[in-house]
Amino acid sequence: MSLETAVLVGVMFSVATYLVLQRSFVRILFGFLILTNAANLVLLAMSGRPDGKRGPVVLDPSAPMVDPLPQALILTAIVIGFGVAAYLVFLLYRLFLDQKTTNAADLYEEPESNS
Amino acid sequence: MNWPVAPILLPLFTALAALFWGRPGVGRRSLVAGSAAAQLAVSLGLVCATLEGRIFVLGLGAWPARFGIVLVVDLLSALMLALSTLVALASVLYAYAESPTRAEHPLRAPLTQFLVMGINLTFCTGDLFNLFVAFEIMLIASYALLTLEADDWDIKHAFPYVGINLFGSALFLSACGLTYALFGTLNFAQIALRAAPCADDPRLWVLALLLIVVFGIKAGLFPLYYWLPNSYPTLPIPTSALFAGMLTKVGVYVLLRIFGTVLPHELAFAHTLLAVMGGATMLLAVMGAIARNFIRGILSFHILSQIGFMVLAIGLFTPLSVAACILYIIHHIVVKSSLFLIGGVAMRLNGTDDLERMGNLWKRTPWLGALFLCQALSLAGLPPLSGFWGKYLIVVAGLEQAQYALVAVSILASILTLFSMVKIWNGAFWTGSDRVPVRTSDWRWRAMTAVVAGLTCVSLAIGLGAEGVVQIAIEAAERLLDQHAYADAALGFLGKTAANPIP
Amino acid sequence: MSGLRSYIFKAAVRLLFFLVNVFALYLLLRGHNLPGGGFIAGLASAIALVLLSLAIGLEELHRVMRFDPMRMAAAGLAMAAVTGAAPLLFGRPFLEHFDAHLTGLPLLGELHVGTALAFDIGVFLVVVGIACKIMFALGKSTQRLRALVAEEERRYSAPVEQPIEEEPPIRAATNPSTPSPHVS
Repeated sequence: MSLETAVLVGVMFSVATYLVLQRSFVRILFGFLILTNAANLVLLAMSGRPDGKRGPVVLDPSAPMVDPLPQALILTAIVIGFGVAAYLVFLLYRLFLDQKTTNAADLYEEPESNS
Repeated sequence: MNWPVAPILLPLFTALAALFWGRPGVGRRSLVAGSAAAQLAVSLGLVCATLEGRIFVLGLGAWPARFGIVLVVDLLSALMLALSTLVALASVLYAYAESPTRAEHPLRAPLTQFLVMGINLTFCTGDLFNLFVAFEIMLIASYALLTLEADDWDIKHAFPYVGINLFGSALFLSACGLTYALFGTLNFAQIALRAAPCADDPRLWVLALLLIVVFGIKAGLFPLYYWLPNSYPTLPIPTSALFAGMLTKVGVYVLLRIFGTVLPHELAFAHTLLAVMGGATMLLAVMGAIARNFIRGILSFHILSQIGFMVLAIGLFTPLSVAACILYIIHHIVVKSSLFLIGGVAMRLNGTDDLERMGNLWKRTPWLGALFLCQALSLAGLPPLSGFWGKYLIVVAGLEQAQYALVAVSILASILTLFSMVKIWNGAFWTGSDRVPVRTSDWRWRAMTAVVAGLTCVSLAIGLGAEGVVQIAIEAAERLLDQHAYADAALGFLGKTAANPIP
Repeated sequence: MSGLRSYIFKAAVRLLFFLVNVFALYLLLRGHNLPGGGFIAGLASAIALVLLSLAIGLEELHRVMRFDPMRMAAAGLAMAAVTGAAPLLFGRPFLEHFDAHLTGLPLLGELHVGTALAFDIGVFLVVVGIACKIMFALGKSTQRLRALVAEEERRYSAPVEQPIEEEPPIRAATNPSTPSPHVS
């Protein structure tokens, strides 16, 4: 279970890094979303193996409980990620409206006349 | 017992009141300025109380330690709080002097207060995940401020800033997860106790490297600093002074806290890495400053170069060098903010901040020139100004450790700093053709200069009263490095509050 | 634009709007001890508003529901902050919550109430406000409406610019694009 999670996290981080380094705004946005989720998954993996444990909210004292703290942390991280993702969408949208391009490489090209 | 939360709640309620108030007016301005002054007063009170040896600890919501979050204010935190609220007050007053109420953006005051709240929470917190939350409050407020008044040229430069900080946040979150897996806690004091026996564990080294990358991004260390010099000059002047003074120093503070108080002191490889990164940062950034040709660009690179000094001091990692780092932070926050503000006054007088088109300021406004000279030479480290003492202590600590190469680099960087400061001096103040206009017709630049003069007085006091400030810095460094005292204080209160848990 | 042109959708949304909101209220009230709480309830409620906006259009929505999402979020934040700070008055730690078990109430019988509920309502308001602000601003912008209505414009829009520089700055020349549309 831990190994699979570790591999998944690794794949997600590499996919995210690849996407963030692309030029298209949409890919960059998806890259950051995957990045946030990869980090959340790391946190989730830290509550240990979930086999045979009950969730921290089910009122059934017979089984041992999963560590609730990482889940609380993830909830916070998701909320923060939600806000930041919304900001990023707006930033990219505003860049698109201003610069009339969805290519990140076009943004930082200095026009010949000025440089 | 609730004092540590005051520097966080005051900006929060001020921001909310300002948000409800709507359009800026004299009433809203006085409210925000009064609150900023009250924050400074509370922080100074905390400094006085912690100077006597007290450590303020507050368990939020009266939860026991493993679930709850503690706020801890020791001497270093209190000093940082005082500095951040001082710079915030100066920035607020400068903004009022700079523009009339009808030209003020209505969201700037609330966002600035949210930013101050995030910064103050960073200094107060005693919990790694809460530190993450504090960083995010600070960063989201800073994203918003960066794009609030940006035109379509400026906004392009917000994107790298946002991007790298998002990456840093994801890595920080992973570091939190790793810490929790290793130690089963996120409380600084508990981590310190549990990490002490496993200094040789490679997993701890991974954690240390991860944290260096995360906070290196925030502080602007050598391979990770490209986002800063282009994004800061796009900000309005008062906000850029606050950013320049505080945001990167938050990264340095957290590095100090993590390597001084939380992680074991035996991580020699991490300290060496920090020292080398600091040396590279100071040299490369100062070269970037020399290549720039407008005031805010030069000053932005100088932030990085000075960060190099502080991180080098952390990397040397002796009690003396940590004290030097704290002294340097105290000096640097005041000097750098006031230099940005002076640059703003000069920009207003000349109508531009391109050094080619500036000039004649010394002839028309000698007082402004004197303030600039004072702060610029302090930045370069000329005695008896405040910058000299920090650099002197760092050099002494470096020589004690026989790090001759790094000492040589730091002296070279100081000389180059002086060179680029002289460049601003020549370009903006000393020379200039007769065609360069200096507009001194309205009264606003005088009010702006008065704010800067206040900050310069603080800086001069630090330089001339160096004896006392050095004593405070040494005291703060000793307490920072005393992990057991910190852990005792932060965990000792639990006995009192654990008696009243929520069912 | 006045929303999607499907009568089935429009009719269904009128019903769904109330159902989803009642569900949001249920999530809000059962939070704290059971799955639920202010954040999820706020998102559910915001989704109901988005559905309504799809059915009747953003302008019509603003006409029937006059609220400023920013003020709603600020009110929620204030409520949460005040709930957190109230224990300070009694010398208790920040954010401490208290609860009470009330019995013999008319109509309700037994009731377990806590200050955490007030905090959650604050969170609920913040989330509804912010989510509405995000989605409506994007929606308006893509439909070429002004991002801020007149009232919000008075409160939050940038003032008339006071140029500091006499001559146009060089960097303005790097971007020959047309004046930017209104985006918040």
